[in-house]
Amino acid sequence: MDPRESLRLSWRSIKGHRLRSTLTTIGVVIGVAAVITFVALGASLQTAVVGDISADQSPAMTVISQPIGEDGGFGGGSGQAVFTEHDIATVADIAGVETVIEQGTIQLAGVRYRDQSIPLPTMIATPPAYFEAVATGNLTGRPYDIGVTEVVLNDVAAGLFATNVSVGDTVAVTPSGRDPINATVVGILDTETGPFAGPPGAAQPLVYGPPDPFYQTRLESPATGALERVYPRLTVVATDFRTVDTVADTVQTTLNTTGDARTLLPPSYEVRVVTNQEFIQQIQDILNTFTGFITGIAVISLVVGAIGIANIMLVSVTERTREIGIMKAVGFQNRDVLQLFLVEATILGLIGSIAGIVLGLLAGFGVTRYLELPFTFPLEYAGIAVVVGILVGVVAGLYPAWDGARVDPIEALRYE
Amino acid sequence: MTEREDQAAVVVDHVTKTYQVGEPVYALDDVSLDLARGSYTAVMGPSGSGKSTLMNLIGCLDTPTEGRIIVDGQDVTTLTDRERTRLRGAEIGFVFQTFNLMPRLTALENVAMPMVALGRPRPERTARARDLLDRVGLGDRLSHRPNELSGGQRQRVSIARALANDPSLLLADEPTGNLDTETGAQIMALFADLHAAGNTVLLVTHERHIAEHADRIVHLLDGHLERIEQIDSPRRPVPAGEP
Repeated sequence: MDPRESLRLSWRSIKGHRLRSTLTTIGVVIGVAAVITFVALGASLQTAVVGDISADQSPAMTVISQPIGEDGGFGGGSGQAVFTEHDIATVADIAGVETVIEQGTIQLAGVRYRDQSIPLPTMIATPPAYFEAVATGNLTGRPYDIGVTEVVLNDVAAGLFATNVSVGDTVAVTPSGRDPINATVVGILDTETGPFAGPPGAAQPLVYGPPDPFYQTRLESPATGALERVYPRLTVVATDFRTVDTVADTVQTTLNTTGDARTLLPPSYEVRVVTNQEFIQQIQDILNTFTGFITGIAVISLVVGAIGIANIMLVSVTERTREIGIMKAVGFQNRDVLQLFLVEATILGLIGSIAGIVLGLLAGFGVTRYLELPFTFPLEYAGIAVVVGILVGVVAGLYPAWDGARVDPIEALRYE
Repeated sequence: MTEREDQAAVVVDHVTKTYQVGEPVYALDDVSLDLARGSYTAVMGPSGSGKSTLMNLIGCLDTPTEGRIIVDGQDVTTLTDRERTRLRGAEIGFVFQTFNLMPRLTALENVAMPMVALGRPRPERTARARDLLDRVGLGDRLSHRPNELSGGQRQRVSIARALANDPSLLLADEPTGNLDTETGAQIMALFADLHAAGNTVLLVTHERHIAEHADRIVHLLDGHLERIEQIDSPRRPVPAGEP
């Protein structure tokens, strides 16, 4: 039968049997809405729990170089500046990498504030993203801008001076063997450490500044031939806790095979990517538990919805036995009847899923509001819900439709 | 077209139909019958005589246990289920005692149904359905649903539907059984008109005065063809009022 014709006839039948159509649709709506609500609830709970546990931790890893075979540590590394700007760009292009934050060390002769000079040994040259993604403490003021003589002090460094340095003051930073540079203090970093301590040395007095203009360690990049800044350490932030391990492997392999670092390092050295294994494992376990939980609930809801649809469709076939008999008597084939029932089930599944998504989102939003959770809903789940809703409609309608198509016209016409 | 006119619309050739209910029950026993083109035949007999079985067989709803049924030159017994359904849609027009219209569809759509089944294009269907309803006197009831029509009007819709694919045979099963005498007379007048226009009609009934509208009456008794009675001057009712 012409598909347009079967669409028209099915639609007529849906409109004609209002009560039955409504009941079927409600079955789908409840199923899909339950899925959406619970998925939204689960996802929101997951975000909240992961957020609580990870606090301001990010799915980060540290890239260093060290002698081959040496056991790496979070603060370890040879300290050799081997990661060029070309390497940084290469790593940033790897799938799953959100940002790459380079960290260089500048040897200081001292820092002067007002008339007091203090021999602070090191300055960290790193982009402002460091304070958001790597630093664990709170930043008072703001991060510095790149290309400007602005610095951030940690509270230990700020407290070394007779008069505490505060935001807005000017200090003179003197790198070893260079002239003093006057810089504005734009932020003070609080070194108080969270439940997951940052790299060792966080409690030392430190000065932070943008690589440009402070960091001057340059080497010729073997890849580009240009003189580029080189850094001893990179922090790579992945987009997701789930992908940290994969990204770490890729970064390590890439740098050890094609990176400038490989060429610049002595043969007995290698690039190592270090992650906070235990912590990431914990987060991944939680994520997996939630995923299992959400999937389980979604499946149960769909099974419930499917049984509802199948029930109504079966009743509908019985109710229309006579109509099926008439159709067959006037020359409709079994597959035409089957097609009509399936188109009907599909239409009801589609309408039901869309209504179910709206209802489910509203319910999910309401419940997360009530529980004071951040509302999170993975949008692709809506698409999956529509597809599954229709699929459930068709699968649940399949047996009744097949049953209806087999009806003997003689029996059907006698059916009252 | 000449070939079609020469050949009988339906040939029933030594047909036996048994049902296996414990012991075999002979619903029809060695029945042979020819329905020539343009003929008007009535089948009569009491309940259980095999009328319904014969109608189902001729209507391609069922297949015989033995013998052959030939509809429009095609042996129904050799056809697959799908081919049989197609033949039924194209060559048999059913008129039922209980009308059997689709309750949700309008008169026009009901008449168009058999043409939908055969995949005729929409404009052609609509035009022909309109014509047929006009012919049965319901030109002004096209978009009415069955529940908005009287019994007589419903039967007219079902007759128009039976004619939709220009079938070889119009098969009417107690077409006046659910109608009052006056309305029944009007329906019988319509059949007479259709017969006069060249349609082949097979009327199944248990009422003598209805059967007498036909040119001949086939009497069935206990599954046997008892006798074939020729009617010299068939009844031709002149309805008192308009439908």
